[in-house]
Amino acid sequence: MILKSVRHMARQHSVSVMLVFGLVLIPVLYWIGAISIETVNMLGRYMCFAIVAIGLDLIWGYTGILSLCQAFFFSLGGYSMGMYLAHHGGAGGATDSTGWKIPACLHVVSSEVGVENLPWFWKPFYDLHWAVILGLLIPGIVAALIGFVGFRSRVRGVYFAILTQAITVAAWLVFCMNNMKFCGTNGLTNFDNILGHPLSENYIKLALYLATVVSLAITYFLCRYIVRSRLGRVLIAVRDDENTLRFSGYKPYMYKMFAFTVAAMFAGLGGMLYAPQMGIFTPANMEASASILVVIWVAVGGRGSLSGAVLGALVVNLLYNFLTSEHNFYLLQWKPDYWPIVLGLLFIGVVLIFPNGLIHLWHRLNGKADKDANQS
Amino acid sequence: MVQLASEEEEEVIQAIKDLALTGDLRLENFFELYRQGSVYLWEDAPEGILKIVVNEETVENDDFDELAPLLHPLTKKPVLIDGKQAQPLIDDLTDISPGRKVRKLANSSKFLIRLASPSLEVRMSGVKKAGDPPQNIDAIPSLLRISKEDTDEKIQWTAGESLLLIRLAGVLPEQTAKDREAAIHELGNIKSLRALPRLHSLLDELVEAEEKPNGTKAWSAAAKKSIKQIETHETSVDRFNNIFQGLSLGSVLILMALGLAITFGLMGVINMAHGELMMIGAYTALEVQRAFGHNPDNPVDSYFLVAIPVSFAAAALIGLIMESLVIRHLYRRPLESLLATWGIGLILIQLVRLHYGDNISVNAPTWARGGNEILQDVILPNGRLFIMLLCAACVGLVYFLMNKTPLGLRMRATMQNRDMASSLGVNTRNVDRCTFALGSGLAGVAGCAWTLIGGVTPDMGQTNFIVDSFLVVVTGGVGELAGVICSGLGIGLITKWVEPLKIGSFVVGAIWAKVILLAIIVGFIQFKPAGLFAPKGRSSDV
Repeated sequence: MILKSVRHMARQHSVSVMLVFGLVLIPVLYWIGAISIETVNMLGRYMCFAIVAIGLDLIWGYTGILSLCQAFFFSLGGYSMGMYLAHHGGAGGATDSTGWKIPACLHVVSSEVGVENLPWFWKPFYDLHWAVILGLLIPGIVAALIGFVGFRSRVRGVYFAILTQAITVAAWLVFCMNNMKFCGTNGLTNFDNILGHPLSENYIKLALYLATVVSLAITYFLCRYIVRSRLGRVLIAVRDDENTLRFSGYKPYMYKMFAFTVAAMFAGLGGMLYAPQMGIFTPANMEASASILVVIWVAVGGRGSLSGAVLGALVVNLLYNFLTSEHNFYLLQWKPDYWPIVLGLLFIGVVLIFPNGLIHLWHRLNGKADKDANQS
Repeated sequence: MVQLASEEEEEVIQAIKDLALTGDLRLENFFELYRQGSVYLWEDAPEGILKIVVNEETVENDDFDELAPLLHPLTKKPVLIDGKQAQPLIDDLTDISPGRKVRKLANSSKFLIRLASPSLEVRMSGVKKAGDPPQNIDAIPSLLRISKEDTDEKIQWTAGESLLLIRLAGVLPEQTAKDREAAIHELGNIKSLRALPRLHSLLDELVEAEEKPNGTKAWSAAAKKSIKQIETHETSVDRFNNIFQGLSLGSVLILMALGLAITFGLMGVINMAHGELMMIGAYTALEVQRAFGHNPDNPVDSYFLVAIPVSFAAAALIGLIMESLVIRHLYRRPLESLLATWGIGLILIQLVRLHYGDNISVNAPTWARGGNEILQDVILPNGRLFIMLLCAACVGLVYFLMNKTPLGLRMRATMQNRDMASSLGVNTRNVDRCTFALGSGLAGVAGCAWTLIGGVTPDMGQTNFIVDSFLVVVTGGVGELAGVICSGLGIGLITKWVEPLKIGSFVVGAIWAKVILLAIIVGFIQFKPAGLFAPKGRSSDV
């Protein structure tokens, strides 16, 4: 009886439950020493992924566009913050002729490509507020361009997905090149300070974690607002029957572009928060496989359900964390090498066995019927 | 050889020259060791004979004396006394390290040996080197002989070219200015690409020199003319090579995308594991190679002809398993099949990686190495020629299968109207299985062919193949086979045409060519969202 009412309450207020968990429970546990700062940091990073997942859910779960370049937008945000951090990162590097300091990670590759002066596109990221603004704007603008080109010509779902994957691969290739002056495959490193505070200090890591939780909450509520508004209804209509929508007088491509841009900005936000918590940002973050991972998080959690997206991101990443260390299960000597097989099985399972994701499994266990995706 | 230890430098020089004329290839290595000073004279004590031996590194025994393990100069096998390697004290050996002049001679004699070798490749490299500085005048008689009598035409021509280059360099004793001018003219006439940089530097020298010695004025005019001749030849060679490379790349793409177009076009299934099926084809070729025992020292070329059908079968088998377990639930659901097949791909990659490790090399059969020179300086690699033939054969086979066989008829019927076909007695499940197996098998053949031109790793599907294949299918459209052919060739030619272009001093290069290609495809899709040959039919979904 009590269990049922607790479950009932938890279901109704699943969001608040998660918020309490994130904002209150974890810091308290850390403060009393029950969990280490590494765990807090890990949760912070996974919450950045959850922010990206919410964005993808908005365009895939609600609007029906499968985008395989969210990792690219994530990386654009990550690089923006990363360049800011690299500017203020410790010793190393050199000073160029105009007095600008060349960050260490750039200086390492500079001897190969003859970087004497700091490239112009590094300069705006010197100040934090500019880095943040650009970290949101740049993914948004790129997404608007891609969306304009793709959606206006009514590229169908699958073709659009392949197109985005090709764009991701091309971007990855470009960012890996040393003479593009993004520090090549080494990526941006030597992150030492943020706003003058050293990144290695525990209180900074906790602060970043809290900032991530708050950003996640903001993203979540913002998305929920969009989805519950009339705009959200149009998005769902795009997913369900775009032709009827078009015949009813709407211009679907504008709504799709909007959703795509918003999702890209969320991904950029996630990237910006991820860079200081990870300590390094490389082109590997924008590989095609990274984008497909985002899709899996949303699929496992439940597409069409925002809290599902968050749940999926956290569950899959925690599972990854657990399964990529050595364990001795009862019968099987587990090696980290086996993780891709589990991931592959997860892909297949999500598609064949539980296509609506974990969150709907949870709903069904609670006796709640599978309501339409207007619920959060 | 013992003469090398003689006191007289003349005798040493003569010894080296005589040795060089023997043409024994092992001498090349020996000369190198000799030059480095690793060759000694040793008195084989019981027999009292003087021998030439090689010692590269000394070892220390328990008394901290330096001992020198001896090796035979030609075979590099240990010199044995009573069954054990001879290790006299290093001080007991007589050091016969050459002086500077002899060292230089030994160095240049190394390639003289190559000129007399029975192997084509070695002779060619020797002849080529003969024309490069420092030119060895002693090579001239051999070069003359080769340019007239050698069995291979190309070597004859190259020997003649080297002779001209030596004359151009003006190192011959008592060479007249007229002779050098004649050499310049002749090099232009035969359109020697090797001469081009030297003619340029000669011209620069002449321009910079303030005093021009007699007879050299004609040189600059001659040089300019020859440079022009050679440069026009160079551009036409480049253009030809470019087209060939474009066609070759296009044929590789077509081979890769053919299977994909079949599964996507006929069944509405996005197979992200297509790259992994190709990888399986490549690893199957590896296994066949191992089974036949083919390796560079012991080539068994027939393995490749067996490998092609075996790769087809292996990939088709895996495709069949995939189909029965997973894909059959996902027809007409492209987005879901994308995810599920990506997962299958991950599993396949990891399984292969766990079994084989990360890096294996597959050795190509001997006839696939080397190339065919059809015009002067235009070399068409044999491996790529074979792939073009294979691609044409596969396309022909698929066309024949689809259009002229009963199975193909059933496939087309199922694709056009599954329910109707089923009610007319076509076993659609079987047809689905066959189609998917066919598509997968083609991927396997593509992978097997890839081993001729590239390396084999577990994740080669993801890095090399999948995005390109999909771009070909997306651009070509899934209505007709011709779509894949056109888009494959188009993408190949455009990529290779863009790659060497220069904007200012910036060469486009492979990566930017890919980006530009992507931009072109995106632009193209604006006009034809479903590809070149879109499936016909009235649908508001386009």
